Amino acid sequence: MQYCTACQKAIASIVIMDLNGGAVTGSQHLCGPCAEQLGVGQPKAPTKFSAEILEDLLGGLKSSRPATSRPRAEACPGCGMTPTEFRTKGRLGCPRCYDVFRHELMPLLARIHESQSHRGRLPGRTSTAPVVTDEKNLADLRRRLEEAVRGERYEEAARLRDDLRRAERGEGARP
Amino acid sequence: MSKSNRGDGGRGDKMPEFRPGTWLQGNGPESDIAICTRARLARNLQGFHFSPCLPDDEARELYDFIVQRLKQSGMPEQLHLLDLDNIDDLERTVLVERHLISRELAGSKRARGVATDTEEAVAIMINEEDHLRVQVFASGLQTEAVWRRAERLDDALIQRLPMAWSEEFGFLTSCPTNTGTGLRLSVMLHLPGLVWSDEIEKATNTAQKIHLAVRGLYGEGSRALGDFYQVSNQVTLGRDETQIQSDVFLAVGRIVQWEREVRQALLRGTARSRTLDRIYRALGTLERAQILSSEEALGCLSALRFGIEEDLLPGFTIPNVNRALLLSQPGHLQRFTRERLQPDERDQRRAHLLREVLGCSR
Repeated sequence: MQYCTACQKAIASIVIMDLNGGAVTGSQHLCGPCAEQLGVGQPKAPTKFSAEILEDLLGGLKSSRPATSRPRAEACPGCGMTPTEFRTKGRLGCPRCYDVFRHELMPLLARIHESQSHRGRLPGRTSTAPVVTDEKNLADLRRRLEEAVRGERYEEAARLRDDLRRAERGEGARP
Repeated sequence: MSKSNRGDGGRGDKMPEFRPGTWLQGNGPESDIAICTRARLARNLQGFHFSPCLPDDEARELYDFIVQRLKQSGMPEQLHLLDLDNIDDLERTVLVERHLISRELAGSKRARGVATDTEEAVAIMINEEDHLRVQVFASGLQTEAVWRRAERLDDALIQRLPMAWSEEFGFLTSCPTNTGTGLRLSVMLHLPGLVWSDEIEKATNTAQKIHLAVRGLYGEGSRALGDFYQVSNQVTLGRDETQIQSDVFLAVGRIVQWEREVRQALLRGTARSRTLDRIYRALGTLERAQILSSEEALGCLSALRFGIEEDLLPGFTIPNVNRALLLSQPGHLQRFTRERLQPDERDQRRAHLLREVLGCSR
């Protein structure tokens, strides 16, 4: 158990680690209120409606989804790139930018590649054999995902979403 | 500034930088039109910022880390590393002209380098727009061969380096145009027939409709000097490497066929005398000109190449034209003459040197 390094009174509940090339070069222990005051606290998750959660879950799967009025992304915590910089340069600053700027990136990827998800080699899975998709299985997974979201069974929905993504790439859906 | 030193035809043969690299050997399938095929993989490492947000000290750390890992045994290629800070700007220009590095890498102020094999069939750029740009070259139209060789190299790199990737987006790159496979397969084509018959725009538009990019001699943003074009896949996400390879192979095959047909049309009927006139005028310029810009030289050499391929110019050979193409470029010209030359001095020297290389000096 550690006390907050800022107020020295409360028990620390958040650890901020400085990373340099994968190595921890320093750390700071903070309590919740101090962390919030310093602007490093956990952002409070906004209340979401099930339709928004479905959108989040579907992510790249629904490419034709119209732009919604969701809040604009803040600067990337990985590299500090701002949404304006991303739009001006058209370049990403680190792997985390792919998540941070997801909502701007997805339509861009669709425009450039007419696709929003990868097919092909990855570390640990280097086969370039043609993928055999099982359409019946895909349709079944999509139906179960929508049912899970409607029934507000979000853990099950997240698992089904991952299954669906894998199946669309031909993994686990091979005959 | 000039120190008298005239290039003699034989000297360059013994110097590796004046031998055409793999891309100009001219001996692969369809090499009369498809000069060279290149596979390029864009890769980044986890734990480091991508190029737009990479501070100089982190770039140095990344460079040293990659170099150290490349030196580990078991790499499928014999590579030697060239630190671009250890050579001068002229030598860097020579590497650009040999397509081993990009202009951007040559001009960058960061820690950067290139690992190549002695045949110049493999070149891995370090700290370019992506942390690694793996390039494999082969003469002629050989999309499958370059991809397989790049794949073996990529396997070895993945074993040694923690690549940035995700299930959803594949290999993560700095620019979204490379995300996914990070694979750009490009074929350099010599298309004087399509240019001279004003069909090149149609060919370019057709290629773009099937998601192929058409660029000039030195890639993005460069002009199509000497009727040389690079055709490559535009899409890297959502199609696997085998599909990309097959798409490029088939599409380029059709362009090659189209070029052959228009060349035949240009050598028939009333078009023939106009075509021959253009080729012999180019020859006349090469034989007599006292001042030749690199742009004009490339245009003339393109016409000469066309004439040789169509058996119209006995006594001239494609290997000599290829050497002339290389030596007509500013970096090679100055390396060959061992002098730093002003542009107007270069144009004079080029006119004389090309005659010697082509064997038409008087």
